[in-house]
Amino acid sequence: MTFWTAARRVFDLSLGEMLWSRRTIFMALVVGGPVLLAVIMRIVEAFGLPALRVNGQRVQGMQVFGVMIWMLFLRFIVPVLGVFYGTALMADEVEDKTITYLFTRPIPRGAVLVGKYLAYLVCTALVVLPSVMIVYFLVVPFGQIPGTFRHLVTDLGLLGLGLAAYGAVFAFVGAAFKRPLVIGLVFAFGWEQVALALPGYLKQFTLAFYLQALVPHAMPQEGVVSLLQGLFREAPGAWTAMGWLAVYVVSFLYLAARVVERREYVLEQ
Amino acid sequence: MTKKTRNFVLASGAILAVGLTTGLVASFMGLPVSVFSRAAGPDELQYVPADAAVVAYADVRQVMNSEFRERFRRIEPDTRERDEFERQTGVNIEEDIHSVVAAVMPRPEGDRARGPEQSILVLARGRFEQGRIERLALDHGGTVEQYNGATLVTTRDEHTDAPEMALGFLAADLIAFGTYDAIKNAVDAGRGAANVASNTDLMRQIGELDGSSAWAVGRFDTLTRSARLPNELQERLPALTWFSVSGHVNGGVRGVFKAEARDEEAAQNMRDVLQGFLALGRLQAGSNPAVRQMIDSLQLSGEGTSITLGFSVPTEVLDALEALAQAHQGAAVPRP
Repeated sequence: MTFWTAARRVFDLSLGEMLWSRRTIFMALVVGGPVLLAVIMRIVEAFGLPALRVNGQRVQGMQVFGVMIWMLFLRFIVPVLGVFYGTALMADEVEDKTITYLFTRPIPRGAVLVGKYLAYLVCTALVVLPSVMIVYFLVVPFGQIPGTFRHLVTDLGLLGLGLAAYGAVFAFVGAAFKRPLVIGLVFAFGWEQVALALPGYLKQFTLAFYLQALVPHAMPQEGVVSLLQGLFREAPGAWTAMGWLAVYVVSFLYLAARVVERREYVLEQ
Repeated sequence: MTKKTRNFVLASGAILAVGLTTGLVASFMGLPVSVFSRAAGPDELQYVPADAAVVAYADVRQVMNSEFRERFRRIEPDTRERDEFERQTGVNIEEDIHSVVAAVMPRPEGDRARGPEQSILVLARGRFEQGRIERLALDHGGTVEQYNGATLVTTRDEHTDAPEMALGFLAADLIAFGTYDAIKNAVDAGRGAANVASNTDLMRQIGELDGSSAWAVGRFDTLTRSARLPNELQERLPALTWFSVSGHVNGGVRGVFKAEARDEEAAQNMRDVLQGFLALGRLQAGSNPAVRQMIDSLQLSGEGTSITLGFSVPTEVLDALEALAQAHQGAAVPRP
């Protein structure tokens, strides 16, 4: 069986498992938050009241959507899903002691990881992207859709890229380290936040640095961290950012597959 | 893949497909807003032709019931003209008019004869006695005719006898005032011809202003082209495309002026000029706390091609103005 045929078989098997696991309930809750906020906002607007005011001025729907994409989805939901799903790709099989069944099949070990990674990507995209679509149509007035639709398409692509990049990095973490969840959380909510706020080249070792360069909305300036990030912001060009994110995806996926190929997983009795 | 998983994939895919298709159709073919929800802006917009360069709206009831209006009522010298208007037409402007929409149409290329007043269309919603107004018009040499289901009361040119200005009864509670052609166009727009709701760019701007007591939005470049300004002056005007002003009236007046420049450089120049005026205003305000407060309320912002200037006239400033007006009135009345 070729590498990609094997990966497709693992993908078929894993997609259903991932979609109907307890983790999906967590994902639905996380992704349901912005949808709930958007519904509340829509109801308030339906009564003729402005849902959000800043300095007495009504905040427009597209601005609210931009902040939601930036603050909720890119800075929180995508890294969280990446951490929880990415680190669990191999770790769950080890924990459940089912990895033996996969490794005794006549397929390349790396195909197991790649198949599972693709299942993660489809699973999270199938939940996150429709929720973004729903939020967009709830928050942005219909009259503004023609002028803002390209931002939505960019956002959807960006979220897909973010899920792919975080998933690849955390798939490697899950395959290579013990206690991958802790390492993943420290990376996403410790290292990335600190490195982005520091001047110098350190921010280039974060995924958020490249993702924020692609965001079509203005970066919100509320909060000390955002202000600091604004001060030291050196956004790379769009093609550079996409190139680096692609490099991250391919490199970490390759490294993760290599680790899975070579590592001896010792199951605790 | 199990049936349950396949159904989930199909449902998610369907949401994405429907959203993307709707957005694509809206982007390339324009979005009939009313299909999904109430269109932005007041219902009267359906009578405004699609090529309107400027559209303005005022919620007359809200303004008339505000504390702001109450202040001006106190210092109003007399109401004789308003009373005479009510006696003749039966319309009490303060109580019978609910809202007003005005639109300015661009002057056709090469039309140098048409004055600016001939490009204006005014739509008023409220309580009107159609029979009384028609009788009044006939008494003054006007004519009454039917056009596409609407009654038009028309005045005629003394020399050519051609229809000049007109008043159209578009619905039981809606009248339109303007030139004869403008009223006919308004009737046609309301009966299915292209109206401003199909003007996606303008509706986008109006959608952002919905909820204000009064607003105006329009294309600055179209307006300056129609204004027949000398070339030298046109070249010195700021390179703006869209502008909008919206305000909320209650005890004071709070509003925001927004403009979109042709490019980022023009926007930055405009912001710099406004910033200079604000600095000058602060210098001139000196120790007058009311003026100082008003100047301080001006907030300039914007990024890219947008320019935003928020302003507020607080009650303290209105108190000062009211005192000034009362002092002026007191001085004007001769002592016995």
